[in-house]
Amino acid sequence: MIQFLNVSKFYDSDTVLKDVSLTVAKGELAYITGPSGSGKTTLLKLIYCAERPDKGRIVVAGWDLQKLKQGTIPYLRRNVGIVFQDFRLLFNKTVFENVALALRVRDAHPHEIKEKVTGVLKEIRLMHKADVFPSHLSGGEQQRVVIARAMVAKPTVLLADEPTGNLDAETSGTITDLFRAINARGTTVLIATHNDSLFHGTGRRVIHLKDTCVEKETVG
Amino acid sequence: MRTLIYSIRTALSSLWHERWINLLSVLSISIGLLILGVFIAVAFNMDSALKRWSKNFGLVVYLQEGLSSEAEEDLRVFFLKDPDIEGVKYISKEEALQELRRILGKNGSVLEGFESNPLPSSFELSLKDKSLEPPVVRRKAAQIKLLEGVEDVEYGEQWLSSLNALSGIMKFGVVFLGGAIFVAIAFITYSTVKILFYRRRDEIETLKLLGATRFFIRLPFLLEGLFVGISGGAVSSLALWGIYSLVLHKGPEYLPSISGFLVQLPLTAYVPALLAGAVMSFTGSLIAVGKIRY
Ligand SMILES: Nc1ncnc2c1ncn2[C@@H]1O[C@H](COP(=O)(O)OP(=O)(O)O)[C@@H](O)[C@H]1O
Ligand SMILES: [Mg+2]
Repeated sequence: MIQFLNVSKFYDSDTVLKDVSLTVAKGELAYITGPSGSGKTTLLKLIYCAERPDKGRIVVAGWDLQKLKQGTIPYLRRNVGIVFQDFRLLFNKTVFENVALALRVRDAHPHEIKEKVTGVLKEIRLMHKADVFPSHLSGGEQQRVVIARAMVAKPTVLLADEPTGNLDAETSGTITDLFRAINARGTTVLIATHNDSLFHGTGRRVIHLKDTCVEKETVG
Repeated sequence: MRTLIYSIRTALSSLWHERWINLLSVLSISIGLLILGVFIAVAFNMDSALKRWSKNFGLVVYLQEGLSSEAEEDLRVFFLKDPDIEGVKYISKEEALQELRRILGKNGSVLEGFESNPLPSSFELSLKDKSLEPPVVRRKAAQIKLLEGVEDVEYGEQWLSSLNALSGIMKFGVVFLGGAIFVAIAFITYSTVKILFYRRRDEIETLKLLGATRFFIRLPFLLEGLFVGISGGAVSSLALWGIYSLVLHKGPEYLPSISGFLVQLPLTAYVPALLAGAVMSFTGSLIAVGKIRY
């Protein structure tokens, strides 16, 4: 589902990733970990084309990103749900509208939007906050709205960047459960985190990044 | 289609949220178009005055002395058939003399010295509007002069040339001013949409990451620009109509000489403003949203 072949990425003269090769299989739920600044976010950005590799080849959901034209990028991104580290919620839109946006950009029918958004809002237990603006939500609630927006269109791949960044342990647990549920429905999930406790004891594959390279792969 | 509906809603909401900047550009556009409209109105009135005026003059064809009435009739029929000629008026020797007496008034005695009527009979020909171009008139006059029984042809060439030049200058002025104002409108909407685009750049960035196409991102801005342009056009048309009606009704009270000179503006005089507002603001918005890179 996600394939990196000898991918390198430089920012000016700084090497962020060097000759990285990795594969995430269809239907898998895997973690990327490593110290802060080890290139986790950059790796995710390469997957959704917010950054382009300087070397190597990336294939996502059957799309060879090297051959992707500017105008095709939106169609790739519709296969990829993203839980951004900085949330990227629109504060002038309600929770409902924020989640609905993922469907609106896909030209979905209003009935479909209503049905699907209501569905995910129930799943993240925020239906009662549907008409609230994000600024009135707690950090954990905002995080769930971001996840709802990433999953509502049933993407083939879901990427999450530090999804439990500054949440307490209990809220983290809820979030982890959400990802499991999404994965159980067939979506490939890749979670970047520097927080070991998130994958400890999960039995999932963990890719460790260190000094611009894949250091090792372990089982959490 | 659903994208269109969503974009209209987005555009309307932005129009409201950014109402001051939008109002400002609507006003700027309408002032520009109003200036153009006033100019068009003046040019239009001058043109119609020129047309009416030039109706009064045409070619005067003096006939040879002692031409038979059959020959005169033949010429008359010939002129009537000519597609450039609108009206034909015959003036006999006697009528010409009476006219001359009337003009001379009490100085009429100078005519006593003539034994017979020295004036020729003549035709006054008025030309169709489209034939009132100096070269056409000159050619026509030359042709007629060669006709059997024609002594001479006279026409006010100087007059015709200057009237035509004046009307040409007015038309050029309208085109030139129009061009300048169209560019200004495009620029006004360009700046407005650019500002709105810039203010919403975070939102646009998020939309891009969610898989929105360029079309989806641009459409609300284009619609907003279009709406601003059309509003500007409508406001200026309304203002022009108001001002013009006022001048039409009240103007003659203060400036009696313009009565009978002003004509009602046809509806088509308002169309350029609306059209220009719409087209140029759309163009401006299009340039403003520019290239979108992912
Ligand atoms: N846009 C950028 N321009 C320059 N350097 C960057 C940029 N983004 C990230 N970096 C650098 O790349 C390295 C990896 O960053 P990042 O991928 O965010 O790491 P992580 O997410 O693992 O903390 C860091 O040293 C960071 O300073
Ligand atoms: Mg990061």
